[in-house]
Amino acid sequence: MMSRRQLYTGIAALIAAIIIFIVPFLFIFLTAVKDKQDASLLTFTLPVNWQLWQNVVEVASARNYMLLLAYFNSSVITVAAVTLIIIFGAMVGYILQRRPSPWNKLIYACVFLGLMVPPAVVPTIWVLQWFGLFKTITGMVFIQVAYGLAFAILLFRSFIATIPRDLDEAAIIDGAKPLQIFFKVILPLLKPVTVTVIVVQSITIFNDFTNPLYYLPGKENVTVQLTLYNFQTQFQTQFNLLFMNILLVTIPPLIVFVFFNRQIVAGMTAGAVKG
Amino acid sequence: MASVVLENISKSFGSLDIMKGVDLSIADGEFCVFVGPSGCGKSTLLRMISGLETASAGRILIDGADVTGAEPSKRGIAMVFQSYALYPHLTVRENIGFGLSLAKRPKAEIEEKVKRTAETLQLGHLLDRKPKALSGGQRQRVAIGRAIIRDPKVFLFDEPLSNLDASLRSQMRMELTDLHAKLGTTMIYVTHDQVEAMTMADKIVVLNGGRIEQVGSPMELYDNPATPFVAGFIGSPKMNLYEGEVARREGCRVYGIRPEHVLITQSEGKWRGTVRHIERLGAETIVHVAVPELVTLTIRCSGEQVVGMGDEVNAEPVKGREHKFD
Repeated sequence: MMSRRQLYTGIAALIAAIIIFIVPFLFIFLTAVKDKQDASLLTFTLPVNWQLWQNVVEVASARNYMLLLAYFNSSVITVAAVTLIIIFGAMVGYILQRRPSPWNKLIYACVFLGLMVPPAVVPTIWVLQWFGLFKTITGMVFIQVAYGLAFAILLFRSFIATIPRDLDEAAIIDGAKPLQIFFKVILPLLKPVTVTVIVVQSITIFNDFTNPLYYLPGKENVTVQLTLYNFQTQFQTQFNLLFMNILLVTIPPLIVFVFFNRQIVAGMTAGAVKG
Repeated sequence: MASVVLENISKSFGSLDIMKGVDLSIADGEFCVFVGPSGCGKSTLLRMISGLETASAGRILIDGADVTGAEPSKRGIAMVFQSYALYPHLTVRENIGFGLSLAKRPKAEIEEKVKRTAETLQLGHLLDRKPKALSGGQRQRVAIGRAIIRDPKVFLFDEPLSNLDASLRSQMRMELTDLHAKLGTTMIYVTHDQVEAMTMADKIVVLNGGRIEQVGSPMELYDNPATPFVAGFIGSPKMNLYEGEVARREGCRVYGIRPEHVLITQSEGKWRGTVRHIERLGAETIVHVAVPELVTLTIRCSGEQVVGMGDEVNAEPVKGREHKFD
């Protein structure tokens, strides 16, 4: 039985959650389906004319279907970067945990530097130019990997500590080579923490605005968050299209989250206690 | 099927010597048990034979071939771990066939061999389950199945029964002995439990502090222990061992007598003391007697023996069953 107090606090929590999460989303949605004049008032009202489909088409086709190209670019960057982060994060975490060596201290120092030191934009651009990777999708992928790897390494390392070493040894006796041990025994067991990394990193990378802005200039390299500029100029902003764009851009991370959200909690706490 | 020979095997971690020059020869088809207290180096020795640990010095020969530096998978051995070490994400079928699939054997051959192994171990109905859906005994059998399918020359067992409850453990002991009889393969078994050693072994190797104390058949070790350590380790309850004045009077450094070789007598005996503690096990009774010159004397007598706490009893050793160590 729920006591009266529990009921009231429950309702209060729900109302707070609605105000914080649902109301802004509703505002975005309502503005996104309004016409131009109606939207420019920026009021929280139902639209006079519902023009959902018309706005979708207009946003998608703006500037020669730039949004579709942006979807493609962002997806490529996200998938490539997350894949690399998972493979290298798990590999480094595995070696750090399983093979103690005097180098480990240095490696840890580097990992923590990666977490703590804020990246500087101009030197990074110099480095990219040096390698001929500036203004390329490949360069952007590497930057995202560099930003996300340290966190992933620590997450994987602490999870691998809970996998008994006997499994590695059983695989060695079964004739597995080091790479086979990693890919056939260890990596499948990292699923919970891998899901966590997928969700956290793919949402971060897909939604990244500043890094593509600095490192990936050029119309052909546009990413989804940068398309928001299409409807914003110095003197005029088309709020209905801007908000429709936001709505469309929010959908992929939302899908990822809905799919994986049950496993993410398991991954976050896994490794905290043995069990 | 192969003999295993260890020649002057040593192992050190830094300045710490774990194994100090072990020489041992295990005959083809023998069931050999390494037994000793924890930290005596028995698991390390087994891991060196398996190749998971390298020897600091010495040679290991399996079937006459020097395998000291060889990869574990090239030594013709299979190992069963204390924790079973089953791959949790694979089914029983995949667990047993893992080694073969790594070796890229044809699917039909793997299927055929897995089936045959599963039948040997009565696992046929469990093949599609994951390890977490199995009981302790079944997991143990899967681990053994994974070893059998490799068709090894030598089986290595690292305390495989210590995670099982008592009744299952005695059942698995018999199954393992049956398996040994059926396969006729050389088996090396590590345990700290002297009961497992006594019941299963053809040959027991008692280790202590990185050295071999004694090698012999179970009854040899029981009847003629070479050192007080072996005497105290083999047999339950422990042998009564005395140093100092008692031993000097018997003309030795350490004097020992097994609890089952002390008789409670009506007439005057060698010792006289007060009963301090009684353990009734049904068929037999263990009596702990406080004897002034010995401190305590443990006596094992039949369950019908009438004794009570605080009784004064006379005790007499069985002639020819006393052990004198110099």
